[in-house]
Amino acid sequence: MPKKIRLEKQVLLENDRLAARLAERFAEAGVFVANLMSSPGAGKTSLLEETSRRLGGELRMAAVNGDLATDRDAARLRKAGLPTELVNTGGGCHLNARQVTDAAANLDLDALDVLFIENVGNLVCPAGFDLGEHRRVVVSSTPEGDDKPAKYPVVFHSADCVVLNKMDLVEVTGFSTEAFRAWVRGLRPDLVILELSCRTGEGLDAWLDWVRRGVAEVRERPGRSK
Amino acid sequence: MQRRPGSRLLAVNVVVGALSGADPESLDFAMQLVAADSDWPGAKVHIRGEPLALQCRACGHAFETRKFELACPKCASLDVEVTGGRDLRLESLEVQEVDA
Repeated sequence: MPKKIRLEKQVLLENDRLAARLAERFAEAGVFVANLMSSPGAGKTSLLEETSRRLGGELRMAAVNGDLATDRDAARLRKAGLPTELVNTGGGCHLNARQVTDAAANLDLDALDVLFIENVGNLVCPAGFDLGEHRRVVVSSTPEGDDKPAKYPVVFHSADCVVLNKMDLVEVTGFSTEAFRAWVRGLRPDLVILELSCRTGEGLDAWLDWVRRGVAEVRERPGRSK
Repeated sequence: MQRRPGSRLLAVNVVVGALSGADPESLDFAMQLVAADSDWPGAKVHIRGEPLALQCRACGHAFETRKFELACPKCASLDVEVTGGRDLRLESLEVQEVDA
């Protein structure tokens, strides 16, 4: 007689278990952790370079940088004054909680106010992997088109903040900010959208305030709210 | 399976939630290849999609959607809570056991 064995086992259980441990570790250290996700080239590294330059004197920050290959982004971040742990994923299209656990072990979390996790450039797989972060940020940019939230609803739905970069190119790309906002509202009416340009610096202050608020919230209540 | 030599894996049942980030067709394609190359090459892989389950915070209506249409069909509110469809899970295994 064939027998059916019920398992109901979540495939990502092991990742979720490690992510929960990371979240505890981040809470103990009182470090605000933001996981940045975007398509390749949207400007995650540029955003972190500018953040480091502008907040470096005020907050103690570090980054975990995931890339398939090369240390080019990590080198850029370090040059901008941000201590960075590089994770080369080889063929991996996202960071998982084990990689972040290993990378975080090389950082003095207790001496940090903010840890940025710069995920591998990809709007699909990173959404499924909890990294123990307090907040998820999706970086989108005007040359990618205003319908990105409609085409990648899972990652946008999981976000706590959307950074819309390259606003200085909005004229030449024919990007409709209204359409982009409408797509995001359709998924998550409460989602914060910060329009900015890392190149000109326009709009960056609102992002820096968002980071400061995250730090203040974690100082008050170190655990994850979600 | 190791504890009961001779038993055979007949089928693997997997559930893919709409918000899981996994694509059922790609997963099916990959798992058929893995199954064919496993110790139980005849094993079937059944993948079942699970819709996004939502509950409206405004009027309490519970509903499902397969197309990311998140607005409540009753009151049109967008203030909805995800109650299901997040998981990618191994639901069950079907095995043929040898008689002891």
